[in-house]
Amino acid sequence: MLRLFALFLPTVIPSWRFFKTVAPSPRIEYRLISGESKGRWQEDRPRPLHLGGWQILRRMLWNPDWNEQLYLVSCSERLIEAPSQHSIDEINLRVAKALPAGTGSLQFRLVFLSRQGKQIVKLVEYESAPVSLASLKGASA
Amino acid sequence: MSVLDVLQQGLTAAQAMGWMQVLLSFAIAQQSLEHLARGDRMIFVPRLILCVVMGLGVGGAWPVWGLWGISLAMLWRYQGPYNGGSDKMTMLILSCLSLAHIAPTPFWQEMALSYLAVQLVLSYFVSGWVKLVNPEWRRGEALCDVFRFSAYPVSEGLRRLADQPRFLFVMGWAVILFELVFPLSLLDPVALKLALLCAAGFHFSNACFFGLNRFFWIWLCAYPALIWFQDRIFG
Repeated sequence: MLRLFALFLPTVIPSWRFFKTVAPSPRIEYRLISGESKGRWQEDRPRPLHLGGWQILRRMLWNPDWNEQLYLVSCSERLIEAPSQHSIDEINLRVAKALPAGTGSLQFRLVFLSRQGKQIVKLVEYESAPVSLASLKGASA
Repeated sequence: MSVLDVLQQGLTAAQAMGWMQVLLSFAIAQQSLEHLARGDRMIFVPRLILCVVMGLGVGGAWPVWGLWGISLAMLWRYQGPYNGGSDKMTMLILSCLSLAHIAPTPFWQEMALSYLAVQLVLSYFVSGWVKLVNPEWRRGEALCDVFRFSAYPVSEGLRRLADQPRFLFVMGWAVILFELVFPLSLLDPVALKLALLCAAGFHFSNACFFGLNRFFWIWLCAYPALIWFQDRIFG
């Protein structure tokens, strides 16, 4: 009950500090592991190179993929600020859902981008334990 | 009736609540359909049904209370907002509307709507203030960073805007100044309507650049409360 109250309170007494600072920004990368063979790290759902005007307008009404991606950004930030199994599960399930069925395990890591001087630097801040892809696909079905 | 007459018109508390419920039924239905595309039927099918009921204007306060309860369940399901500020605003509007419906007297109903109106003004003013006190925003670097490496730009092509620092400096200051002076628009009904039009344009641009479509729809839902508040306090 206390937990629910703690989740509810910031919605009725919000801080409204949008973009107060531009904090290091998370990206989710994943790889598939099969036995001893570890695949290369790949960015989860890379954004398109270009979006046309019509696509942008259509997204005003229908934007489920992007909104899920924003939720995964929140989960990534929460995982660093206050680690929880919920955030790990949400990322695992949603990354797995976007992948074709297969054997082996899925592992993800969180890479944070930030600016130091004029350079953009990448820092790996979290690496998950591998989880069976089949079990994740089963759970997200 | 001229355009000026329309812009000068206020709303009664009942009218404001009516408009908010119609707008909210659309905004929450839009969110729910997006969720249904990803699964989670247990929560979002009932949510969608309640939106339709509320949009049709039947069931009195029950659909509002039902949607409030489901929003609470969503907070638990996602261990916080699914979509950051837009989910917070959805919950805030539903909380204030729910309280306005159970208010024992018109005074308490007005208090609930006033709280929402004040929070709406703060959503702009506080956002402007926290940017103003940050040197990176004042120098225009923060907006460059948003485009350069944040998770928000909807395409890689948009990141090229980070190479236009003068343009982003002007845009950054335009946003800061607009957010800071927004409360002054409460002094005049026409100024308020024009400010709300600008604010909607601001949310629309955020939706285009950063994919924040839900923010656009849900902030519009709170505008009737502010139009009523302006008329009630300054009218």
